[in-house]
Parts: sequence; structure tokens; C-alpha cells
Amino acid sequence: MIKQCLKVAFILFAICAVSVILLAVINQITAPYIEINTQRTTMETLSAVSGGYSQGEQREGNGGDISYVIPLSDESGNIVGYILELTTTGYGGDIVIAASYYTDGSVLSAKVMSNSETPGLGKKAEESWYMAMFEGLGGDQALPESKNDLADPSAVSGATVTFNGVSSAIRSGSDYVKSLGGR
Amino acid sequence: MSHRYELTKGIFKENPTFIIMLGMCPTLGVTTQVFNAFGMGASVLFVLLGSNIFISALRKIIPDSIRIPAYIVVIASFVTIVEMVLHAFVPAVFNALGVYLPLIVVNCIILGRAEAFANKNTVLDSALDAIGMGIGFTLALSLIAAIREIFGAGTITLFNLSETQRLIITIPGLSESPVRVLTLAAGALLVMGYLKAFFTWNSERKAAKGERA
Repeated sequence: MIKQCLKVAFILFAICAVSVILLAVINQITAPYIEINTQRTTMETLSAVSGGYSQGEQREGNGGDISYVIPLSDESGNIVGYILELTTTGYGGDIVIAASYYTDGSVLSAKVMSNSETPGLGKKAEESWYMAMFEGLGGDQALPESKNDLADPSAVSGATVTFNGVSSAIRSGSDYVKSLGGR
Repeated sequence: MSHRYELTKGIFKENPTFIIMLGMCPTLGVTTQVFNAFGMGASVLFVLLGSNIFISALRKIIPDSIRIPAYIVVIASFVTIVEMVLHAFVPAVFNALGVYLPLIVVNCIILGRAEAFANKNTVLDSALDAIGMGIGFTLALSLIAAIREIFGAGTITLFNLSETQRLIITIPGLSESPVRVLTLAAGALLVMGYLKAFFTWNSERKAAKGERA
């Protein structure tokens, strides 16, 4: 009886061991590529939202939804805005957004980075037209609080939770930038 | 049963989605764009092929009492391989499939084929079965996705790696005023229901014809 149990346990152990070895080998091969991809995406995203301004040294965020802040300066070295990495909650978990603002809190540009939103619905937040809905707002003009503040609410229908998550992050970033006061 | 039958049965006669009704979660979840359906179908095909071959090869070694955990370990390993490879080399597909990719582990088609076919048949037959079922699954997903995308968004996304590398056919008229409910979860169920009804009607009609002849 014990012998039988041991045999069964050994077979299951052997299958698991082979799987572990196989996965370890493949992880060794793919991990560097994944790392490079992630870094390249971050770099590309940061330069895409920088609006052509030069990026300064990375600072720490507020310890909450803002992970880090990169000041943007023009040719003469004056700070004209900031890039913020914001974390918010969407429909499928956390959404990470890189957003840049002018010092008055208006949105210069923004891009969704990692997310687990539903393909075809919330995933639309990755497209450039999605963030264009926020650009230029946040300074003199208020940012949209709900989808009913948009010119075309149907553009985000089916993904209201995603929109609320993104817009609340963008608004919180805008308020944070205003609190920095151009420093 | 001939080898050819094992290969082709999954495509129409025993289509995993429309006839056996397995793997409904990704079927309803990722079929919002044709390109996602391709990616999902290809991933499932690969996992199914790998797990069917392995389970068939080990069918005499794996004791009956631990077959389910053993199958799950094999399947989960292949899914993790697909996940890592896609993440490393085609991140766009990895991002598009999102949470549905790791969920292939619990896709009933794969465990279903392991349990119903691979543990009773030879490696060659199991591999052919996997290819047939995988193709059948991909075709079914593509059909649902095409209907949902054409009527729900007025587009056909054949290829979408990034905003610069993409091939999206826009259908004039439909893209301005699409039937948006089809892109939502309820639309997936509606399309699935109508297609299932159509395939049932079709097979009954064929059976009736066979009786008369």
C-alpha cells in the first residue's frame, strides 16, 4: 500500500520536476527579452509624452498613486512641466499611466502603459485618440469627471469603469502638479 | 478511425465551440476583434498540441488516481511557455490577450481533449486531434469575432501590432453607427446563441437528408 502511494507520488513529482526544469530554461531565455521590451516601452512612452521637452532627473512621487515625477524643462532650463507615472484601478486591475502636464496643471499628453483591461472595450484606452480627450484640459478648463462631460460619451461606452479610473488618475495628477507650483 | 478523420473532425463535425461547447470563457471574452481571435486560437492550438502529445506519450505511466493533477501540471507548463514566449517576442499579442492567456490553463477544450482523447489514443492520433481541434477553435473564434467586429464596430482588425503596424479594414456606414451591443459581453452571448442555433439546424437538416437517402 505504502509502496503504491510512493510510486504515485514519485510519478507526480517527476512530472512536476520536468516541468520546472523546462520552464526554468525557457524563462532564462525569454527573461532578458521581456526586460528589454519593458524598458524600451517605458523609454518610448516617456519620450512620447514629453512633448519634445528635455527630461530632468526622476523624483519620488507622493507615495500613493503617483510613483515618480520627471520634470520637463525647455532649452533655457526652465521647468515647463512634469511627467507623472500614475497608478489607478480599472476594470481588470491596476492601470499604469504616464501623463505629462504643464506647470498650470493642464494635460500635455498621456499614455496608458500596463493594464489588464478587456480587449476591445477598456483596452481602447491605449489608443492615442483616447488620451486626446484629456489633452489641453486641467488648467483653465476642467478635466472631465464622468463620461457625460465628454463631447461624445459613446466613445467610451462599455468601458465606463476604465474611463473613470483613467480620468480620476489624470485629475489627481493635475492637482498634484498644481501643488508643486512649478518647482 | 482513420488519421484523416482525427484531423478533420474538430473542424466541423465535432467543432469544440459549436458542437462540443467547450472553452466558452475565451470564446466570449476575446472575440471583440478578429486579430485577438487569431492570437487566442494559435495559443490554444499550441498548448493543445503540446499537452495532447505529452499526455498521450505518458498515458501508460500516469496512474489513474493522479491523472487530473498530472494533466494540469502539463497544461499549465505549456501555457506558461506560451505566455513567456509571447511576452518576449510578440508583446502586442501578449498585451491584447491579457488575462485570457493564463486562463488557457482552465480552458475546458484542453483538459477535455486530454481526458476524452489523448489518454486513450496514440501520440500521432492525439497530435492530429489537437491540430484539428485547434483549427476548429480558431475558425469558430474568428467567425464570432468577425461578426461582432463588423457589426459592432464596423471594422475588421486583421493585424494590430502597434499604432503604426496595423491592418484594419474599416467598413463605411457601419463604422459611423455600429450596433455597439455586439462588442459588449451580451453581444457575445447573442452571436454565440444564433450561431449555435444555425449549426444545430444545419446538422439536423443533414441528418434528415441522410435518413431519406
